[in-house]
Amino acid sequence: MSSTVEAADLRLTGPAVRRRGLRAAGTILGVAVLVLIASYAVFVPMLAGTDEKLTDFSSARLPPSAAHPFGTDHAGRDLFIRLASGLRVSLLIAVLCALASMGLGMLIGAVSAALGGRTDRIVMRVVDGINAVPHLLLGVVIVAMFRGSVTAIIASIALTHWTQVARIVRAEVLSLRSREYVEAAYLLGSTRREVLRRHFLPGTLAQGVVATVMLLPHAIWHESTLSFLGLGLSPDQASLGTLLKEAQSEVMLGGWWALVFPALLLLVTTLAVAACGKGLLSRTEGRQ
Amino acid sequence: MNSIAIRAEGHTVRIPSRTRRGTGWVHAATDVAFSAYRGGVHALVGESGCGKTTFASAVLGMLPPGTMAAGELDYVDASGTRTPLTAGRDGAARAAKLRGRVIGYVPQSPATYLTPVRTVGSQLGETVRELGGARNPQDLLAQVNLEAQALDAFPHELSGGMLQRAAIAFALAGGPDVLLADEPVSGLDPDLAQLTLGLLRRVADAGAAVVLITHDLQRLADSGTADEVSVMYAGRIVESGPASEVLELPSHPYSRDLLAALPANGLQAMPGTSPELTDLPPEYSYAERLAAAAEAGYAR
Amino acid sequence: MPAELSAVNAGFSYGGTPVLRNVTISVPAGGQIGLTGPSGSGKTTLARILAGLLPAGEGTVTCNGQPVQRPWKQKGHGCGIAMLFQSPRASCSPRLTLRQIIAEGAGRTSRGGRARRVEQLAAQVQLTPDLLDRYPSEVSDGQLQRACLARSLAAEPGYLICDEATAMLDAATTASLVRVISSEVESRGMGVLALSHDRPLLEAWCTSVTSLAALSAASGER
Repeated sequence: MSSTVEAADLRLTGPAVRRRGLRAAGTILGVAVLVLIASYAVFVPMLAGTDEKLTDFSSARLPPSAAHPFGTDHAGRDLFIRLASGLRVSLLIAVLCALASMGLGMLIGAVSAALGGRTDRIVMRVVDGINAVPHLLLGVVIVAMFRGSVTAIIASIALTHWTQVARIVRAEVLSLRSREYVEAAYLLGSTRREVLRRHFLPGTLAQGVVATVMLLPHAIWHESTLSFLGLGLSPDQASLGTLLKEAQSEVMLGGWWALVFPALLLLVTTLAVAACGKGLLSRTEGRQ
Repeated sequence: MNSIAIRAEGHTVRIPSRTRRGTGWVHAATDVAFSAYRGGVHALVGESGCGKTTFASAVLGMLPPGTMAAGELDYVDASGTRTPLTAGRDGAARAAKLRGRVIGYVPQSPATYLTPVRTVGSQLGETVRELGGARNPQDLLAQVNLEAQALDAFPHELSGGMLQRAAIAFALAGGPDVLLADEPVSGLDPDLAQLTLGLLRRVADAGAAVVLITHDLQRLADSGTADEVSVMYAGRIVESGPASEVLELPSHPYSRDLLAALPANGLQAMPGTSPELTDLPPEYSYAERLAAAAEAGYAR
Repeated sequence: MPAELSAVNAGFSYGGTPVLRNVTISVPAGGQIGLTGPSGSGKTTLARILAGLLPAGEGTVTCNGQPVQRPWKQKGHGCGIAMLFQSPRASCSPRLTLRQIIAEGAGRTSRGGRARRVEQLAAQVQLTPDLLDRYPSEVSDGQLQRACLARSLAAEPGYLICDEATAMLDAATTASLVRVISSEVESRGMGVLALSHDRPLLEAWCTSVTSLAALSAASGER
């Protein structure tokens, strides 16, 4: 019954394998831009050392030039370096907020959906309540209570934004709850905690991460707004928000560079993070 | 004398496979000889994963990109003109022209086959228009024993059996010369299965060549639908002949063991399991499976 | 205490429509009972009630004399009711390897003992060792259903309910699974309830075959 087929007899019957398309171009661009921005934020202040704090009132309010690519501020500090460290602070705060929101949101969302019944209903009312209040207002209240501390800023953002993650994770767990493999797990004797750990949380990790990445631009804006309002970091500390606040007065005096560069950077960072988030989303959707 | 419609000679298919564990070639078909005649039902049977569905994909020109083939697989029209379906890069393109119009296909799970947000009638009407079919939707539904009311129904409003019949109506929309049915009765109640197979028989009696792909030997044997049966194992045809012979007095040990597994014949478990088709050694045969099972202590 | 899984005068309605009415069925330990009937007749509902996944609207469900509880509320092992579902893909998490899926059933044993048990069960259902490290998307339905059976048997259940478990499988795999289940029944005295619309299969497999219609009618006569 065996007859060997010579390899030479074989030929293609249709088109050859196609290379993967350029669908990922947007995501790759987003990642590239983010890497660029991150390196800017990390390395420039490192290399500059203490130069950023140097005040030199003789070089105050200089427009962009070879010596000062982004110009100088009212105290003569080089804005290229100052913006880099400002970005570093803003990004750090935003990432910490996002992580805190993710941790809180995933846990509460998953447990609420897993327990179901009255517990779930109560938690959802709480979530609705938090969402009903304009989160900036809530954030301002929290920060005003604990003036200027970075922990307060992080808390104000995390406590108002975990609900977004919780909602998405809860919806995912609700759909997982009725899957047959979850029923099988219970029939095999798994406790609710084991099912949570082994099936619900891993199942929602992808969605949770995506929701958190989508939070990042918002967190950056939130921090900038708080600092802009004077409720966040002290004006001496550089962050995107404080720099934008300074720019308010600078622009009046003709210093357009004080506004343009921070604003542009805020916009580009937001777009890049959103592009990465979208790329992550389409990858996780594909896997389901 | 009925004319041949689908002809395979030395038909061999190798599909590239790229998995976590590395690359390889799936030996989906090796040296397959097969002929389907007009006016008859030729059943292709075997365990799941033996290459039956790939054979259908080859006839329809729907093999994955990068697939290599050898041998001949042709569609032969009434006047005897051959259209090779797997020869060269445009083999798939040639098959694509025949798809739907000359070679109809009834898929395995009809429920997912239809668009859920449109009525059956509108989808069937569109299909007839696109394929330039001669019959209108009402006639097609009548041919498959569905009332005209089904035209106004949405797919979720039809039962499983009705959906299966609707799928056959869709396949007949272009007035095809050949009908490929892939597991058309899998999971259906015995009565519905009988009805569906009867339908396919009538399609063959009307002049088309019907190729019935199934692993359900019991239904096949009970319904007496098939004229010829070919048994496939690990991508090779191990036995082929008139249905009455193959299903009642098979000569190949694989066919015999396959039939012995049927409830009516005692539900006797087969030795071992069917092999992975990836990078299958060329000398592989059923004897090897029997030997491996004997070593593992399998006893009848 | 009777060694059986039984439902007495069970009834269930979805919304207002009654799906089950006055059904009495008993699965003895060591016995294999077949339940046939067309799709949608309520067989699956009865199966889920017997397993505790659904609360019976009316009537009582007991296992070895004790009332059957919802599985997640069950303290301890109960009398061990396992279920094999129709679609092996839906009943396995796509994120776990077959080895992990089978091990889920052996949760109560020690780490080392668990690994040995998984290998032993895999051999019993004829899954070659190389398949154990694959994900569900990389194996066929038949192989996956074998893994599901191994998982169910790992917990050494007192009763196994097969809900159209072979509907999607070819005859060879079906015969193979039935063989494994029957040998488990012989060796441990497990009780089996098999649901299928394939009456010839049930008649070849089980010691007695009944239908939902017959059960309701019989209860009506009481």
